[in-house]
Amino acid sequence: MLLEARNVAKAFGDFRAVAGADLAVEQGEIVGLIGPNGAGKSTFFNCLAGDTLPTTGRILFDGADLTHASPEAHARAGIGRTFQVPTTFDDMSVLANVMVGAFLRHPHRNDAREHARRIVELTGLRADQPARSLGTPGRKRLEIARVLASGPRLLLLDESLAGLTPGELQEAIALVRRIHQMGVTIVIVEHIMEVIMTLTRRVLVFNQGRVIASGSPEQVVRDEAVIEAYLGRGARRQRSE
Amino acid sequence: MVLIQVIVGGLLLGAIYALFSSGLTLIWGMMNFINFAHGEFVMLGMYVALLVVVWLGGGPAAFGFAAAIALFALGVAVYALLIRHVVRGPMLAQILSSFGLALLLRYTAFWIFSANFVSLPQTSLAGTIAIGGVYLPVAQVVAGLVAVVLTIALHLLLTRSTLGSRLLAVAEDRTAAMLMGIRPDRMQALTWGLSAGAAGIAGALLATAYPWSPSVGETFGLLAFVTVALGGFGSVLGSLYAGLIIGLIEALSAYWLGAIYKDIVVYGLFVALLWLRPQGLMGKA
Amino acid sequence: MRKLLAQPASAQRLSVCLLAVALVLYPLVFSDAFYRDVGVTFLLAAISASAWNIVGGYAGQVSVGHSMFFGLGAYVPLLFYTLWGWPTVAGIPVGILLSVGLAVIIGLPTFRLSGHYFSMATIAVAELIRIFVGTWPLVGGAIGLQGPAMARGWWDLTFRGDLPYYYIFLAVLALVLATTFMLERRRFGYYLRAIKSSARAARSLGVPVRRVKLQALALSAAFTSAAGSLYGVKTGFIDPDSGFGILVSVQMVIFAALGGAGTLFGPLVGALILVPLQTAANTWFGGGGSGATFVIYGGIIVLIARFEPGGLFDLWRRLAPLLRRRAHAA
Repeated sequence: MLLEARNVAKAFGDFRAVAGADLAVEQGEIVGLIGPNGAGKSTFFNCLAGDTLPTTGRILFDGADLTHASPEAHARAGIGRTFQVPTTFDDMSVLANVMVGAFLRHPHRNDAREHARRIVELTGLRADQPARSLGTPGRKRLEIARVLASGPRLLLLDESLAGLTPGELQEAIALVRRIHQMGVTIVIVEHIMEVIMTLTRRVLVFNQGRVIASGSPEQVVRDEAVIEAYLGRGARRQRSE
Repeated sequence: MVLIQVIVGGLLLGAIYALFSSGLTLIWGMMNFINFAHGEFVMLGMYVALLVVVWLGGGPAAFGFAAAIALFALGVAVYALLIRHVVRGPMLAQILSSFGLALLLRYTAFWIFSANFVSLPQTSLAGTIAIGGVYLPVAQVVAGLVAVVLTIALHLLLTRSTLGSRLLAVAEDRTAAMLMGIRPDRMQALTWGLSAGAAGIAGALLATAYPWSPSVGETFGLLAFVTVALGGFGSVLGSLYAGLIIGLIEALSAYWLGAIYKDIVVYGLFVALLWLRPQGLMGKA
Repeated sequence: MRKLLAQPASAQRLSVCLLAVALVLYPLVFSDAFYRDVGVTFLLAAISASAWNIVGGYAGQVSVGHSMFFGLGAYVPLLFYTLWGWPTVAGIPVGILLSVGLAVIIGLPTFRLSGHYFSMATIAVAELIRIFVGTWPLVGGAIGLQGPAMARGWWDLTFRGDLPYYYIFLAVLALVLATTFMLERRRFGYYLRAIKSSARAARSLGVPVRRVKLQALALSAAFTSAAGSLYGVKTGFIDPDSGFGILVSVQMVIFAALGGAGTLFGPLVGALILVPLQTAANTWFGGGGSGATFVIYGGIIVLIARFEPGGLFDLWRRLAPLLRRRAHAA
């Protein structure tokens, strides 16, 4: 087992954002994480990446306990992540952004630059473009390139494919496939069912901080609890409008 | 007896520290922004009081009110012209904006009012009162009590009123607040107005009882940092307690160690707090 | 000229070379004591602003109390001389060590928190030290300390005339800039800029953010302390205000921010513009100009923060392509 999260919970004051979630990921898998807005997926993600300290529970990565480890320790151990709202280094070029990631495993500048160049090529970005001038899809792509350069064994993608045009979406899906073929295990949070259906074999559904269903994407979309979670939300939204 | 006098005097002064510090903590809590010019707002409040007394012959109520209004207006103007443009910008711009403003206000005041100490001419608050053998200037007692009342009023305004919840909504989530029909810019301008206004009244209250020069802005600004660090960033009630504690510590260390050491004790406390409890006594991390 | 504008990289290299030559020749061409004094003042300003730039500009941790390191550096050599009659030069490394220690004391707790805490802590600690030194008779109290009137040897770093100081300062400036240049190109430099942009993203990529910030502050403190030492031995006199006063911190910030915080030559350019202006103002208005200096500095700082937080370098970066286009069109 590459990643094992056991009974992870996170409370902000009285609000339980994550209320005891389990996740086990095998080496080489692509696992999808879906659920309505505010279901606790991002908080759970932040716990996995060390960005948020869980209130209870344990997180094991490759046998090592990372529950209380810092985000940088997570990165060193091999857990990479992207952010829901892309957070690029805007004062730097695309290449320099990716180099920051590459420096983790390549301390020398020339090695890091070579490595970063290969990754930039792979992701189809332009090396000398200032990160500032990229649009949201470009930023999301740059985030993927950057974290990929840090040599992760497990990649946590937080809605990295949201907001793309259909054409861009196909490219992005192909990119995720290529990363997966490079031997990187992936956990992906996504709203777009097309992405989940095409990329993943196994899906976990979050609602109100808990995993309410899991299985193949086809099974999950027929699950009563899942339909209720989504429709319930739809019904609420209709009432409030 | 002397010790009791020192303690009461310290608490009364501490109440005014609490009032102006609550303005600083308000900006921090609402906007995650440190105003380096806050002490200068207090200092300007003192000079507004002086000008109202000298030019218009106004009494304490009049100059207190005038200082509040003038500084409220200044706070709103500073937000609209300067802070609004830097608050979501780089850290350098955030820090430099209010730091530069502090220098500008402080040394313009030196230029206009000179570095000499001044005090208000005799007001209707002159004289002392004796309570059980403790003699206190009326001005100090009135200023301290008014400061406590105003700090509590500010706390209630933020926690119990619609306006307070609107301000909080903007602080929590700007976009969501906008969707609810709240105009964030207006609310934040108001926050700056309230913050500077609190500093202005505190200045006027200080002016009734203590002499000052333009350099007090720096002293009070740093004192506000210490108070906010002790009381917790963003907590008005916290700065009330912390202000009283710091007034007390200052008075006692001046009494026991000598006046020149009171600043060292207070700033030393600040450094210790940074190490031991950076979120403050009542603050959240 | 057109060619120069068309090739920014080589134009930059050429202007750096020209600047270096100009700085070396300056005191030989202008042998008048007044001009040499201006030169020395400029170099000192450029050194301390460039030192501030490492943590304030590159790492984006805005210190408004760097005078604490400057003052420590200035006091220790003169203290060595006054208390024990030791050579002033021996005080320089000790000042640096103390400054690095102080940097760690401030950086360790505050770098865990938002950048505002660091800024607040720096100004409070600088003020604490200034007041404390003013009340401590052993270190001269409010009156201050004096260095040796006559050199007992080279190791007192006490020279007649400004020329030796000029070249020592120039060498130190070269050292600071060379160090910054080297760091800028290495992993450390990339990490600093990443942290400035987004500490959260940097951490997610394995950047040890606190450690890198702390290293930047320690390095910056060491160079600032050295600048203070040079000031102390050159002036032969130090008191709480000229060592730990707020103007000292303000100058570092304003020189760096005007030229361009986080750029190699920004602080130097800022000093190159402001030091002559300041000298001219002092000459015209006499000693009473210092209050006006503060008002003007405050105004400049506000304007930079509001309109050009990137400083002149950033402005140039945006304007240069437009000028180049015009040059091509002409």
